[in-house]
Amino acid sequence: MLRLMSAIFVLQVLSSALAILFLRGQMLDVVRIDRERQVIDVRDDLLAAYYDGGREELADFITARRGSAADPAVFIALTGKNAPVLSNLLRVPTILPAARPQPVAVQRGVGQPPAEGLALVGQLPDGERLVVGVVSLSERRIDLAFATAAGLTIAISVLMALLSAAVVGIVISRRTHLIAETAAELASGNFGARVPIEGTGDGFDHLRRQLNLMAERIGELVAQLGAVSGALAHDLRSPVARLSAAIDLALARVEDPRAIEALQSARADADALRAMLETALEISMIEGGVVEDRRRPLDLAAVAEDLVELYDPLAEQSGVRLEGRLEAVTASADRELVSRALANLIDNALKYGGKTVTVSTGMRRDANDVLWAEIAVEDNGVGIALADRARAVERFVRLDDARTRPGGGLGLAMVAAVARLHGGSFELSDPSSGSKGLVATLRLPC
Amino acid sequence: MAGRILLVEDDQQIADYIVSGLAEEGFTVDRADNGRDGLFLATDSLFDLVVLDRMLPGMDGLALLKAMRAADVPTPVILLSALGSTDDRISGLTAGADDYLSKPFSFGELLARIHALLRRAAGGVRQAQETTLRCADLELDRLTRQVKRGMRKIALQPREFRLLEYMLMHAGEVVTRTMLLEAVWDYHFDPGTNVIDVHISRLRRKIDDGEVRALFHTVRGAGYRLAVD
Repeated sequence: MLRLMSAIFVLQVLSSALAILFLRGQMLDVVRIDRERQVIDVRDDLLAAYYDGGREELADFITARRGSAADPAVFIALTGKNAPVLSNLLRVPTILPAARPQPVAVQRGVGQPPAEGLALVGQLPDGERLVVGVVSLSERRIDLAFATAAGLTIAISVLMALLSAAVVGIVISRRTHLIAETAAELASGNFGARVPIEGTGDGFDHLRRQLNLMAERIGELVAQLGAVSGALAHDLRSPVARLSAAIDLALARVEDPRAIEALQSARADADALRAMLETALEISMIEGGVVEDRRRPLDLAAVAEDLVELYDPLAEQSGVRLEGRLEAVTASADRELVSRALANLIDNALKYGGKTVTVSTGMRRDANDVLWAEIAVEDNGVGIALADRARAVERFVRLDDARTRPGGGLGLAMVAAVARLHGGSFELSDPSSGSKGLVATLRLPC
Repeated sequence: MAGRILLVEDDQQIADYIVSGLAEEGFTVDRADNGRDGLFLATDSLFDLVVLDRMLPGMDGLALLKAMRAADVPTPVILLSALGSTDDRISGLTAGADDYLSKPFSFGELLARIHALLRRAAGGVRQAQETTLRCADLELDRLTRQVKRGMRKIALQPREFRLLEYMLMHAGEVVTRTMLLEAVWDYHFDPGTNVIDVHISRLRRKIDDGEVRALFHTVRGAGYRLAVD
């Protein structure tokens, strides 16, 4: 943006400088031609006087400064056998005969600086020499005038350039920001986000249209993916149910302790599989918006307190300190789903989260001055690398260092789905204390 | 405690497992594989309990249940669902189901719920107005909120108290983890890890440690039972 603005500015200044230079040349030409014509006009007048009344008449014309000789810029010299007749001159300038007026240096009066002029010299029939000229304005003065004009022009150009660059910049930036905001919404998972088409038919409109098409396509693909994983989970439930039932049946009939052990381990796996399918199905249902709206004013502190209490013995058994820092805050939420989400977060924190896990609730005001009810689970474990955080909330994604531990890789995806269903958000961040660990925050509209 | 059970389930394999499992436990099981036959059987014969699949060909489970209740058939019903969201549970319970189980479930879970329902129908569950619950020398006073094992007073956390209260109300029955989560915590999801096991083992230590006779028993593949065994 800055580069575009400075380019516009430099171009404007350059073009006005060129225009000024061109103007200066043109103007000097005009002035010169004008002076030359004046010199010739005066000479013609003088010659007319000479042919009228001879040398006396001419001398009289010169000294009396009649007619065109009255211009104070005109200087005349008549020299020959008699004393020279001078008008506006201290002495006769040196000049060679030529067809067109020539530049000449003249001394016009006592104590006056020498001036520049254009002059013609001619021989009268009686052998006298006639010098006729016009003092020209010095080029320096013209240049000065032009320098002033140039300065003014540049100043105005700078102003105009800044103004137009700013206007162009603001327009472009406003349009691109609008497009970027939509892109950000898409990135956050709202595939219904679209850029409004302004119908200007320009490149921006093209960009908007393409972005909208892309969003639509992504939305379709994601919906397909969700439907596929939902259908898959759904279809797998019956086989898993039969598997569990078969294992139970076998368990009830065998006496061999090794067989029992093997069956029990198979049973635990079948249970884990069942839980995963259930969660996957539930995520699909939440994301598809198929769940009934069971939102009610809910005290998040009470929800958190119940779950802290539920998990406390388990935490104690694993040597983790689980504590609540709860501040009463009410959000319109589905108790069952929020409890599930929080259970997932606590469960995750207990599995991967070091020695202290803190569950906190409270109210936060965001940058846009919107109030949110927050539930956060903070741990001092290994955390999740910044680059992996977006991936961590996707379905069936488990990060490398978590791969060896139990868990279906659906927990955080479930929390994100619950957040989206409520019109809230889910975020993984660093602990504010700067120490290692992870803060998982579920934000719900108040 | 055996009884006669009607199973209305269209999935042949699941039905086979449930039928053979229940027969193993001493129940007599009749099975219908569609809603119309199910309704006919349920209204015509005397069953102690109906296990009803929600999704059925012909007539869906909810409609069957409503028709049963409209015909004043009071037989306890356990509704089975493959949908698995809590919405189903609520609509199922309002339609007149006595309990609700989402597929896939373990057979142990189903069995425990069948027993609990049969016991409740037989008036075996202690009534809410009963102030003192007992099992052997374990005594829980709901008014004073005191728990004693013989002469030993036991201090319990509020949640442990409710847990023990529920176990005592279902003394002698198998109580599953899911049943405990639903009744004591009001959660209708499975937190997955052994959260409940840890709560039970904590409570069990307070009740059984140092006693000659253990009252808490773990039932393999199902849950827990509070009983003098």
